Amino acid sequence: MLNDQQPLATNRQLPATNMSLMAAQLYDSLLKIYRNYTVRVFLQAIITIWAVMTLTFVLVRLMPGNPVDVLVEQILTNEGISYQEAYERVAASFNIDSDATPLDQYFQWLGDLLRLDLGISITSPGTKVIDEIARFLPWTVFAVGSGLLISFVLGIFAGMPMAYYRGSKLDHILSFFSSFSTGVPNYIWGLLIIIVPGIAWRWFDIGALRGTYDAGLTPGLNAEFILSALEHAALPVFTYVIAILGTWMLSMKSSTTGVLNEDYVNVAEARGLKERTVISSYVGRNAALPLFTQLTISIGFVLSSGVVVEEIFVYWGIGHHLFQSITVRDYTSLQGVVLLLTAAIVFSNLFADLTYGLLDPRVRVSGEK
Amino acid sequence: MSDLSPETVLRVDDLSIVYRTDRGDVRATNNVSFDLKRGEAMALIGESGSGKTTISLALIRKLPKNAVVTNGHILYQHKNKVQDVLGLSRRQLRGFRWNDCAMVFQGAQNAFNPVLKIRKQFEDTARAHGWTDKDAIRKRALSLLELVRLDPERVYESFPHELSGGMKQRTLLALGVLLNPQVVILDEPTTALDILTQRAIIDVLNDMQRQLLFSIIFISHDLSLAAEMADTVATVYAGEIVEIGGVDDIFYRSLHPYTYGLLTSVPTLDHAQDVLQSIPGSPPNLIAPPSGCKFHPRCSFASDQCQVEGPLLELGRETHLAACWHKDRLLASRKEVV
Repeated sequence: MLNDQQPLATNRQLPATNMSLMAAQLYDSLLKIYRNYTVRVFLQAIITIWAVMTLTFVLVRLMPGNPVDVLVEQILTNEGISYQEAYERVAASFNIDSDATPLDQYFQWLGDLLRLDLGISITSPGTKVIDEIARFLPWTVFAVGSGLLISFVLGIFAGMPMAYYRGSKLDHILSFFSSFSTGVPNYIWGLLIIIVPGIAWRWFDIGALRGTYDAGLTPGLNAEFILSALEHAALPVFTYVIAILGTWMLSMKSSTTGVLNEDYVNVAEARGLKERTVISSYVGRNAALPLFTQLTISIGFVLSSGVVVEEIFVYWGIGHHLFQSITVRDYTSLQGVVLLLTAAIVFSNLFADLTYGLLDPRVRVSGEK
Repeated sequence: MSDLSPETVLRVDDLSIVYRTDRGDVRATNNVSFDLKRGEAMALIGESGSGKTTISLALIRKLPKNAVVTNGHILYQHKNKVQDVLGLSRRQLRGFRWNDCAMVFQGAQNAFNPVLKIRKQFEDTARAHGWTDKDAIRKRALSLLELVRLDPERVYESFPHELSGGMKQRTLLALGVLLNPQVVILDEPTTALDILTQRAIIDVLNDMQRQLLFSIIFISHDLSLAAEMADTVATVYAGEIVEIGGVDDIFYRSLHPYTYGLLTSVPTLDHAQDVLQSIPGSPPNLIAPPSGCKFHPRCSFASDQCQVEGPLLELGRETHLAACWHKDRLLASRKEVV
């Protein structure tokens, strides 16, 4: 057997020229790079984003109507001029190359994207998509971000007693609230808040709370502006807190329940540790671990979760902007915003993956290998 | 209470414990009494579910929530002061645990908090009992880790998952004696370990006990471990101590058919035994235990008397007690065998 195989092996190696050797080496080193965890998940993230972007590109163009039609319709109903006239007027005011095929547009857009250029809004020529995003984004990050963090902290502190006293009245009441809070979508909570305390009880003036701050104020670090901004954000933030809180409470309850059954908690108590130490460093810390991953992942959904809520409260954040872009079929703005929302989700997942090791030493070691 | 001899560190007196369950009360411990002397090693042996662990958990009041102590006292004597463990306040109990009586639980695999370094867990323990000097804690911890034959510096700065099962078990032993407790309870200290690690743990335990002079209660169904470690052996059956005595008495002159059954179900080197005996039947239902002697349905010596009247734990010979009506018949039959 050995004798048979020996010459065969040498034969195979013979045609190995310098070129193919180099190719093999290149392949090897590429493989090595790909095997690096960070590089691999990063590549996967890029591919995911590209796929979503391409789908978006196609989908927005498949939606009935286009930016020109939408505006033409408006002009027709308002001014009573001929269709042709209206069409020409609109087409002239828009930033559209009507000769370009969709495929041309796709590659044009993809090329721009590689240069980090999101293009120019179709319906308001001269405004860069990126500038529009920069205008609306901070408000959403502020409102949903506060909602998320407040609900996270509250959820952790409310979830632990649920686990400690499970089966008690306290647990039943909190569990009922959590399921209710999780089951009802945030826009329903938003509507409820507007209708019940806002319209029926007149606790606050919904009309005055439109927008992100009172008209006439200059944004900046002055008390008046900050107070106004907080006032305008209060209802959306409250809505987010109510809508997300239940999820955190239930997660923390189940996580804590699991940890309470762990040997190390039992041993910690037998060691005569102070109750405070056991609750915080032994139960709390281990129970909250999986929730941090969940939190990092939810950061990605921050931007997209408030779309309808912002519309309900007329809070001018990125969701409101997305809504407007859809209404007027502003393709480039739409693509820009969707790219942002997708990238946020994908990268927060990536971030969660890469940072979990900082919190959990067990993952840290295997990650380094 | 004051009749405790100065040599006694722990007295369990007529202790009864019941688990309240949906199906009824499980009488897990019935009128158990024993004394533990300073420096003594006592083994509790018996089948799974016989109530060994319940007894030991009661000693540090770490019983599950549905357990109720229906009778008895647990007296702990230290520096001429006698306390009833069952009467300690929450605060006193926290101080008592680990400082006076430490328990090394079964299966050390998950005994350590996975997100804290071993060092932090030693420090937590010492600080909870009033130690403040970090360097003193470190010094003490390192010397104990050395005593259990680990690389002290490395282990001290490790996370639990970086240690093997045997290393964790030994680290837990070191942690167990960190505060110099008078009593150390070991629940199955060697199960789930391979035979070489078992050996090492036993040696370490013997060393430690010789140097640190604490008393040991250990729970095991490993009879060879009991034979090797214990001064006194107590056989537990259906929540009762059915036989208690010196290790040689129990192993060579057992007076209870159950103990004898346990012994003959283990292969030995020096007895030419053709067949390993097993005890027929299974441990009794503790919700509705058998009448009379609880062992009688499984006992080959059982008579009519056994079905009606439960025997008391009586002196058989010197310090050797057994709860059986037929001690003499057992001893006689045994002589024929050996």
